[in-house]
Amino acid sequence: MTDLSPASALLLVVWGTIVGLDLVSVPQAMVARPVVAGAVAGWLAGDVEAGLRMGVLFELFALDVLPVGAVRYPDYGPATVAAVALAADSPWQFALGLSAALGLALAVLGGFSLQMVRRANARAIQHRSAALAAGESGAIRRLQYGSLARDAARGAGLTALGVGCAWLLTDPLAHLDRSTALGLTLVALGCGLSAVIGGALRSAGRGPRLRWLGAGALVGLLAAALR
Amino acid sequence: MTGGWRAWLRLLAVQGTWNYERMLGVGMGYAAEPLLDDLKTVDPVRHTEAVVRSAEFFNCNPNLAGLALGATVRAEYDGVPGGQIARLRTALCSPLGAMGDQLFWAGLLPLLLGATLIGVVTGARWWAVVGFLALYNLARVATGVWALRTGLDAGMEVGAAIGRSWIQRAIERVGPAAGFSVGVAIPLVAAWYLEDIGWPAAFGALAVAATGVAVTRWFGASLTTVRFTLLALILLVLFRWVLP
Repeated sequence: MTDLSPASALLLVVWGTIVGLDLVSVPQAMVARPVVAGAVAGWLAGDVEAGLRMGVLFELFALDVLPVGAVRYPDYGPATVAAVALAADSPWQFALGLSAALGLALAVLGGFSLQMVRRANARAIQHRSAALAAGESGAIRRLQYGSLARDAARGAGLTALGVGCAWLLTDPLAHLDRSTALGLTLVALGCGLSAVIGGALRSAGRGPRLRWLGAGALVGLLAAALR
Repeated sequence: MTGGWRAWLRLLAVQGTWNYERMLGVGMGYAAEPLLDDLKTVDPVRHTEAVVRSAEFFNCNPNLAGLALGATVRAEYDGVPGGQIARLRTALCSPLGAMGDQLFWAGLLPLLLGATLIGVVTGARWWAVVGFLALYNLARVATGVWALRTGLDAGMEVGAAIGRSWIQRAIERVGPAAGFSVGVAIPLVAAWYLEDIGWPAAFGALAVAATGVAVTRWFGASLTTVRFTLLALILLVLFRWVLP
């Protein structure tokens, strides 16, 4: 992130806030998917290639997760934005590993922050339980807007923390020896592939979907070999 | 009954107040408000009771929440006893959750994301990302509008309306398609990264991938892929530090 201006950093935090809100609260338009969040973050940071490389890597991790019901999962959106901020303007082969480490740590933190917001929402509902029992529409509206504001603050705080960490890690990344940097990238890529393969196998079960997954993998291997 | 479009817009934020006590309940109450407005003038007492019921516990996939919202609001206007409406709401939680999750989270989303990854790594880049957003949102908007309309039309008969609908057939088709799409994407994405690094090093990454799949399947939920990754990255840094 050698050339990241304060204006770009601010735009990244705004984008991270939108992405953080999109995950659960509103509008779930899937801009929180890492491949989308990363591409836009790369454009904002002036390095679309880095954005796509990070976005695709985190998408591999995100495809391991089924966001069903009350399941707890990492928040990959703001994490991808911060990772792109660190990886921008560096050769991706050497920046991907350390950026992925920052992003994954943030994603886990994001998952915890989501639980905190949910508990805060429950406390707010208990606080207004009398108004809810009386059927006050205004109380429902206030609860809704308060919860959205909490989630927006969560996304903004998480992204700001991530962009700050990216700024602190810029120098260590520049001085990291090439073999360690490449090793980190290979480990991150290998783990990303293990995540998507593990997730795909779990989703497929033992039914027809597993056969279609296998057929797809054969087609993909053939296409990769012919490229 | 008016306020349909406002209710649909509010359904986009139905998970805004998600919590472990009422789950989507308050978000449903927020979305129900415009639809229940007319009831205020007709029967103010019933309106107050309906508002209370609308914000009670509820959980399902957000993309199908309109079915429950429409059905319960219609039942309120039809003068169905409150207890019956509460039971309908409870009964809809599991099927709408299961169907919506299979249709969207385990079906349409991985199908489109697999196609997006294929597009990005084969050169479509931005177009693949834009195409993903356009197709996904077209599908979820159409489903959301259909769900709310169907719920409002069917009322207490919403279960039968769901049974007659296209949802089950779509679930049966979208799952295998998603498997195929992700299956094609995995080797192409791997090649996209690894061809630039060189194949000797690539074998190292593939060995990590194979180890990751085996270890995370062995340990199950106690060792998620993210934990495995962070552990592997830390071990690599320590190894390089001890043996520079």
